Amino acid sequence: MNENRNLDEPELIELMEQSKDIHSDAMRRTRGDINDLINNVAPATERPEERKEEAAEFTKKRSEILGAASNGLGILGVTGLGAAMLALFSKPAFASSNTDIQILQTAASIENLAVATYQTALTLPFIGGSSANPVVKAFAQTTMKQHQEHAQAFNAAITALGGKQQNNPDPVLLKVVESAKPSLTSPSQVVNLALELEQGAAETYVANVAALSEARAIDVTSSILGVEAQHVAILTAVSALLSAGAPQLITLPPPAAQLPAAAGSIGFPNAFYPTNKARPQTEGAVK
Amino acid sequence: MRTKKDTTPEIAISEHELYSLTEELADKHQDTLPKMREGANEVSESIRELTKSKYGRRSFLTKAAALGAGGALLAACGTAASTSTTAAPKVAGPSVDLQVAALAASLENLAVSTYKAGISAATAGKLGTVPPAVANFAETAMAQHADHAKAWNSILVGAGYKAISAPDPALNGVINADLGKVANVVDLAKLALNLEGVAAATYLEALYALSSKSARAIAATIQPVEMQHVAILNFVLGTYPVPNAFATTTGARPAGEAKSLLVK
Repeated sequence: MNENRNLDEPELIELMEQSKDIHSDAMRRTRGDINDLINNVAPATERPEERKEEAAEFTKKRSEILGAASNGLGILGVTGLGAAMLALFSKPAFASSNTDIQILQTAASIENLAVATYQTALTLPFIGGSSANPVVKAFAQTTMKQHQEHAQAFNAAITALGGKQQNNPDPVLLKVVESAKPSLTSPSQVVNLALELEQGAAETYVANVAALSEARAIDVTSSILGVEAQHVAILTAVSALLSAGAPQLITLPPPAAQLPAAAGSIGFPNAFYPTNKARPQTEGAVK
Repeated sequence: MRTKKDTTPEIAISEHELYSLTEELADKHQDTLPKMREGANEVSESIRELTKSKYGRRSFLTKAAALGAGGALLAACGTAASTSTTAAPKVAGPSVDLQVAALAASLENLAVSTYKAGISAATAGKLGTVPPAVANFAETAMAQHADHAKAWNSILVGAGYKAISAPDPALNGVINADLGKVANVVDLAKLALNLEGVAAATYLEALYALSSKSARAIAATIQPVEMQHVAILNFVLGTYPVPNAFATTTGARPAGEAKSLLVK
């Protein structure tokens, strides 16, 4: 994989520094958000106006329903009352935060596994050692750190919602990684394993955004899903070049004129991000 | 997109294999479209409901209100806010979710027209040699933005509004001016990167703001695709492709920006 590379390594380091600066700017905002999450442990304080109005609406509706029932107005029978209350409680703002906590714990477990997998990969000479492609090595190092930050962010949101932090890996995916470990004998196999995990993470978060109810859970998931999709795009392109026997084209920037036409779009094959590989919501929940 | 004849030496690589992979992926993409249409129908229904409901209003309202979108507030308050039978009928304006759909459609239209102009310029030989991979990127990204525009327009039409074919009214002039300065492929890639970044940031803001879960689901399937476009463009330009652990809303357009394009 390190053959024929034409990367200007100092240039890459400089670029990485610039990227870190940009990243630090983003982190300031995100850390602020995470601090908000931690500080605002009491529910429904992040968007007080909205919550206040929703709470007022909820109280009003509940009074109407219960009042109508107790006054014997005949508007609601026993079944009708149950259905009306059920409908009221099923409104998004009042959906159980327990479900959100489980979804976030699963997300944290996926991130924990990703961190552990990249850590393992970086011990391999062709990923993190002297024979590694510098672009792939830098990508693995940076991506591992990003997954650590994602895990922290998900756990901060879990804490804010009153749940237990998840510091273990997703148990189902862990088995996949463990069974793949003996076969990780080349960059291509490692990249494909990472790709599988990243794709699973991205699809899970895309699916979760519609399933979550709490604003803070939606916010943290939304800010992460696109980043996992970016990991997928880059890994897909790298995987294709490795499979095609062209590791020398994996440079930053790549020699654009030498890339095959298909390399331009192989990283983003879908106009709409799929969710068929999304992990079950409770797969990584704390038992 | 035809490009100037490339004189760079052919590399020993199985292009057939890559094409085959791309075809498979394109097939998978086609499989996702019916599901997307179903989602769009659900969103239309949700938006109809939202014009009657007060639930789920979010921070985008602030921005919408700042842009004079008083109608959004009226729509969100809707009929539930008043029980008086003598009250004057309220004129419901478009909900924030509808404004977001209009904004998204107009941004997607702008992306399509920008890529189209870039491809035309390249085809006319105005941008110098265009690598095949870059041409393929532009054509694929343009097609995906067209799909995104269709998805948002199907929501608007389902909610009783006309489809929007115009670009974002606030950005169009700026982008066109920048387009006039594009002299080569690198310039075009930088312009596309700006536009994709704005789209990704706007969708992230929308994910925070949308009230309807179905609308959020659609935005969630599009935002990561725009992020992927950003990553590939960064990579091609020689910038680290995934610099941030968290996506940001920097550059996001305000929800009410394309409200004027909403016509029943």
